[in-house]
Amino acid sequence: MDVIFKLATLEAAIRLGVPVALAALGALVSERTGVLNLGLEGMMLSGALGGYAANEATGSAWLGVLAGTLIGAGCGAILALLVVTARANQVVTGIAFTLLALSATTYLFQLRYSIGGIPPRVNRLDMTPLVLLTLACVAALWFLFNRTTLGLAMGAVGEAPEAADALGYKVERLRWIATMIGGGLAGLGGAALVCGPLGLFIENVTAGRGWVALALVVFAGWKPGAAVAGAILFGLCDAVQLRLQGTATDVPYEAFLALPYVVTLVALVLRARASRTPAALGVPYVRGM
Amino acid sequence: MTVETAATRSTTPGASSGSGPGSGPGFAARVAERAGAGGPVVSILIPVLAVVAALAVGGVLIAFDGSNPLSVYREIVSAVLTGNRGFSDTATAATPLILIGLGYAIAYRARVFTIGGEGQYLIGALAGTAWVTGAGLRDLPRWPLILSGVVVATLAGAAWSGLAGWLGVRFGANVVISSLMLVYIADSALAWGVRDGIRDPESFVNQSRQIGRASLPELPGTTTHIGFAIAIAIVPLAAVLMARHRGGFRITAYGHNPSALDANEVSNRTVIILVMVIAGALAGLAGIVETTGVNGRLGAQASVGFGFQAIIVALLGRLNPVGVGIAGLGMAGLTIGFESAQREFDLPSSLVGVITALIVVFVVVGDALAGRARGDR
Repeated sequence: MDVIFKLATLEAAIRLGVPVALAALGALVSERTGVLNLGLEGMMLSGALGGYAANEATGSAWLGVLAGTLIGAGCGAILALLVVTARANQVVTGIAFTLLALSATTYLFQLRYSIGGIPPRVNRLDMTPLVLLTLACVAALWFLFNRTTLGLAMGAVGEAPEAADALGYKVERLRWIATMIGGGLAGLGGAALVCGPLGLFIENVTAGRGWVALALVVFAGWKPGAAVAGAILFGLCDAVQLRLQGTATDVPYEAFLALPYVVTLVALVLRARASRTPAALGVPYVRGM
Repeated sequence: MTVETAATRSTTPGASSGSGPGSGPGFAARVAERAGAGGPVVSILIPVLAVVAALAVGGVLIAFDGSNPLSVYREIVSAVLTGNRGFSDTATAATPLILIGLGYAIAYRARVFTIGGEGQYLIGALAGTAWVTGAGLRDLPRWPLILSGVVVATLAGAAWSGLAGWLGVRFGANVVISSLMLVYIADSALAWGVRDGIRDPESFVNQSRQIGRASLPELPGTTTHIGFAIAIAIVPLAAVLMARHRGGFRITAYGHNPSALDANEVSNRTVIILVMVIAGALAGLAGIVETTGVNGRLGAQASVGFGFQAIIVALLGRLNPVGVGIAGLGMAGLTIGFESAQREFDLPSSLVGVITALIVVFVVVGDALAGRARGDR
């Protein structure tokens, strides 16, 4: 157990947790307005590839992070167009989006880099600014949802869209804004993954972290701070897993590979009933129904 | 509403045949009425247009890559339609897609959105392979060995999927997420299995023993294993289950209106677990027939994404068993044909994945637009 308390492990936990934390914040924003974003994994992946490409092209890791965020927000706009404006089924649309992003990023990456050999390492950011950025996002979201009219309106749209509409709030517009912010945060998470200490894009680099982030939002009861704490917990499991793989134990190392996902599943199970789901989550809004 | 329109055609007979006690004629009529919003024409037109649109975008990408799209598509078609080889390969590749896709179709009809087919497939393959290569067992006569292996794999897949269903009804855990977490856990189980648990002691790489006598026979005159015949045989079974049987009526009824089912004293929980178990059983079956019919042993690279491609197959097939069969064959044909075209025209291997994913996105868009045009939801 003492592996958990080593400083290096804790450092790794934060490094591995930050991208998931950003994506979880993204999922949280759109879910608070009632839009379930199952395209999150795909948006993270798109942001990761966009961030990598921009970083490689410009040589600036920060521009990479910015590009990833913008691409994520663009993905959010596509999703909003489908599920908010066209009222497509949110579950099926999100899954379809993720499937498309998975193959499209693989295709684009293959097109650009496989021909010329090994994809280059890109400039890397330290964790410190990324951690600060994540904390700033938490603070901003807390402020948004608790201290601004816009945020309160967003929450109202997720709980009782009819009532919010009757009060004159634009349900569709607020859901659009939230889905784009959410996509942007997911893209930022993906870009932070590849422009952070990793400095590399590989096929399916996010490896399910977007899905983990979705589970963490439930675990966190739709609270930004708790979502980040959950993500660091996931990062800790991931870090412990990486460390224990190298050491000889009686437990097969594959058990550690599965550990972060088992913990996520357990967290989901333990908190699913206890946390308060936005009442209109996943339900398209039609005026006059 | 994507799924409800898809359910249109086979709901109606199930509903009008008066599905036993507990569901009065009024309820049946309401379900039928609700389901009657979209026509069968739209229901078939949307996937056809989606395929055309995806192929068009694919054509642009092919042209961008410097090849003539029409020659590439001609090569894809001729690779599938010319000779026994193309047919056999297509049928073989369609087998896991149809099996897992049917399971998704049944679950999605009930609006239970599992995406964990890949994990159930791996667990089925792992458990089934462990059984047919196990000490003592591998010396069983051929057919008892094959059949018992199939049973073990089916049960294992069903249990893996049923677990996600149970976590859903017991704790309220979202099935989309829990079924996917179980994919990653299954992946680790597979990695352990081929490295240690059921590893071939003679082998230098991580893989199971040869499945030996459990190897599936081929269909006469083809190089396709009999798993394809099983998959095709399950298509009408699933259609009957969904359309006529009370259980099938419950599944579609639950998909349309969970609370109505509650009022009729049919347990929602039972329906959710039931469809998850069926979906897992079919995915587990796909896992073992792919191992005993195609691969001959279980390797570390057993996860090739059938469980995700089958989501596309189920949606493209309109959650209709016959549609799933057709969509599965179509997807398999595209994959097999593309392999040949890829070699000839030196295309990126991931292009076919983009085209198939585009198909499902266009189906979703088409459904949304059709629903919007009709003015429902």
